[in-house]
Amino acid sequence: MKNLDSVLAAYLAGWAIFFVYYISVAQRMNALRGQIEQLKNSLNRGK
Amino acid sequence: MIKTILGAVVLFVAIAFTAYLAFHYAPIEKTMGPIQKIFYLHLPSAFSSFIALGICFYANLRYVFTREAKWDWLGVSAAEVGLAFISVVLVTGPIWAHPVWGIWWTWDARLTLTFVLWLLYTAYLLLRTMLEEPDKRALFSSLFGIFAFLDVPLVYFSIRWWRTQHPQPVILGGPGSGLDPRMRVSYLLVWAAFTGLLILLLNGRYKLEAMRASVEELRREAEVR
Amino acid sequence: MALLSNSAVLLSKELRTEFRSRELLTTTVVFILTIVVLFSFTFDPSVTESRRFGPGLLWLTFLFAASLMLQPGFLREQNNDTLSALRLSVSDPFAIFLAKLTASAVFLLLTEMLMLPIFAVLYNVHILAVLPQLILVFFLGSLGVAIPGTAFSAISAQARMRELMLPVLLLPLLTPVLIASTEATAALLSENPQLRVDWLGFLAGFDVVFLTALWLFGEYLLEE
Repeated sequence: MKNLDSVLAAYLAGWAIFFVYYISVAQRMNALRGQIEQLKNSLNRGK
Repeated sequence: MIKTILGAVVLFVAIAFTAYLAFHYAPIEKTMGPIQKIFYLHLPSAFSSFIALGICFYANLRYVFTREAKWDWLGVSAAEVGLAFISVVLVTGPIWAHPVWGIWWTWDARLTLTFVLWLLYTAYLLLRTMLEEPDKRALFSSLFGIFAFLDVPLVYFSIRWWRTQHPQPVILGGPGSGLDPRMRVSYLLVWAAFTGLLILLLNGRYKLEAMRASVEELRREAEVR
Repeated sequence: MALLSNSAVLLSKELRTEFRSRELLTTTVVFILTIVVLFSFTFDPSVTESRRFGPGLLWLTFLFAASLMLQPGFLREQNNDTLSALRLSVSDPFAIFLAKLTASAVFLLLTEMLMLPIFAVLYNVHILAVLPQLILVFFLGSLGVAIPGTAFSAISAQARMRELMLPVLLLPLLTPVLIASTEATAALLSENPQLRVDWLGFLAGFDVVFLTALWLFGEYLLEE
């Protein structure tokens, strides 16, 4: 069914957006976790 | 780390579940045929984005009157997640419509409103990047958010009145038009899944913002020492 | 009452400042004139086409011009550090906004009234018969632009890239004003001119909503 193709394409694109967003949030969180570790270490060293 | 993977699993399950409902369980619609299946992605996304918009507005109001940072965190989270949902609406619409109707875009009332909402959300997030000081950023973006939200019903009505005077092709025949019970069940379940997705994404984004705030605090502490 | 008299004093200051140099008005008029001319290259300016595209072109031009014209609203205060002095001089911060938005609306209206006859001549549109009604449409529309415009001028003054941020914030929000004003203007310039009271009522409603929002949240917009 030709029409079904476009619906599937739309579904793929739509869910891709959600996945990409989720991954971007997860990535940013990891980066921040790294920064928090770094800052905590430097603060402890400073003591 | 485990939580992140768990979240991704939940997301994947949601996709599989809604796809099953949409393509297997729900019957094919009489007049439109299989193309109507977009209904189970396009519409719930739109609805979730409206919920996100409402949450953003509430958070903006709470921030202006309490100045507690957590409301700012909620505001930006709701705006970003809402933007993701609206982007899904704007992307799935044309992709599905082009092979079917031969046009990528039409300025019908719903799509136009969605586009304007997308612009308003984007303006809110853009404004935040242009305000460096955290307190100012929170306050002024909240104020903009409040004004923008008050505008939404006005945008909706003006576009509708204008479009009813110059009729255009309507992409989706309204969802209420004679719903087969299996369609109704499917739609409700998919809608519930999308609400869950909204909460999942909101939660994640909120935690991210809270983390960012603690990084800024730690940095300030480090500078003092 | 104190609010109105304070606003009046501030308003006269705004008007006097501008009329001393008239730089804002002249620059805006030249800007609009340029766009009106440039637009003539984008479609066939026959009478029927002008009737179709004219009102939209007019209002779009005014919206762009307004987003430039509204910049100095709070920028001047920021650059000269006069904002805190201004806040101390009045008991109700809403007076400051009232003055600034009235001044902006006046300037906008002045430019529009200057542009209308020029537009009528260049595009062969008849405005004399419907002039009072047109003025009413432009009055309500200009208020619709000036009220949120003044609020966002205060917001963008705090931000980086403020010259670009103001249009980015303001223009999507002004969608209802653009639609209502264009429809009302088009109806007045059509073959059978009619006054669209429904769109005018809508514009008035828009003005009331944002004036109220400005009244409720104005003091926070002035925080430094």
